[in-house]
Amino acid sequence: MPDNALYYRLAYVATLVLYVGYTISLVVRARALARRRQRQRDGRA
Amino acid sequence: MTDVSSPPPATRRIDPVALVALVAVASAYGRAIWFTPPEATQGFAQKILYVHAPAAWVAFLAFGVTALAGAFWLFLKDQRLDRLAESSAEVGVIFTTAVLVTGPLWGKPVWGTWWTWDARLTLTLFLWFIYVGYLVLRGVIPGREQRARYAAVVGILGALLIPFIHLSVYLFRTLHPLPVVARPEGPAMPAVMVTTFFLAFFAFTLLYVAFVRARIALAVERDTLDDAAVGG
Repeated sequence: MPDNALYYRLAYVATLVLYVGYTISLVVRARALARRRQRQRDGRA
Repeated sequence: MTDVSSPPPATRRIDPVALVALVAVASAYGRAIWFTPPEATQGFAQKILYVHAPAAWVAFLAFGVTALAGAFWLFLKDQRLDRLAESSAEVGVIFTTAVLVTGPLWGKPVWGTWWTWDARLTLTLFLWFIYVGYLVLRGVIPGREQRARYAAVVGILGALLIPFIHLSVYLFRTLHPLPVVARPEGPAMPAVMVTTFFLAFFAFTLLYVAFVRARIALAVERDTLDDAAVGG
């Protein structure tokens, strides 16, 4: 059997980085929107 | 006028679908890594199939949903359809990126090259460019209705590539392997591998649903705040 486990490990890590990275981007954008909501609310008060 | 003092939105709650997706994806990775044997000829590189093929399926699903939602938007002009199209396209780009990253990581040890301008690989790269372009287009058009209309057209045209990509291994001389599971004569893999394969398909489909739900929640909140800003 060929010794190529490195490639499969890299592929699994790369996909995890992508999916976790996208999850983080969703959280960051949700927080930015929450701050915007707060600013708009303060502006009206 | 939209009230920004109303309770905030789904963006702050943890979606149960996301929790189920997390468990399913962790199970799929765990099963693929620790409980599925490597294939004798390709070695461990064959395990890349369990993250590559489901990502391709989800990318096709995501862009298909984008096209359908866009087509329905053209008739119904319902903003929820545009948000679904936008969200699904963004998630589809993430999964297509996964396909384009994991493919070469399988190709190098098995084919001896990271990339070849094979029909399926090249068309998949074009698909990625089209939907990155779709997202850029959405970002540069300020008017909501005009943005939705242009995006719907691009989303529909982009999805026309999907059947060609799927059939490319039959239509063209290509290095890319033929399907090993979805074949009329049955899967060309032992049951333990097929189980992992279907678990990964299920898990990544759930992950797609969770991502799209979260992304739609963001779009709803953004539109609510935009409306409030204009109204106030």
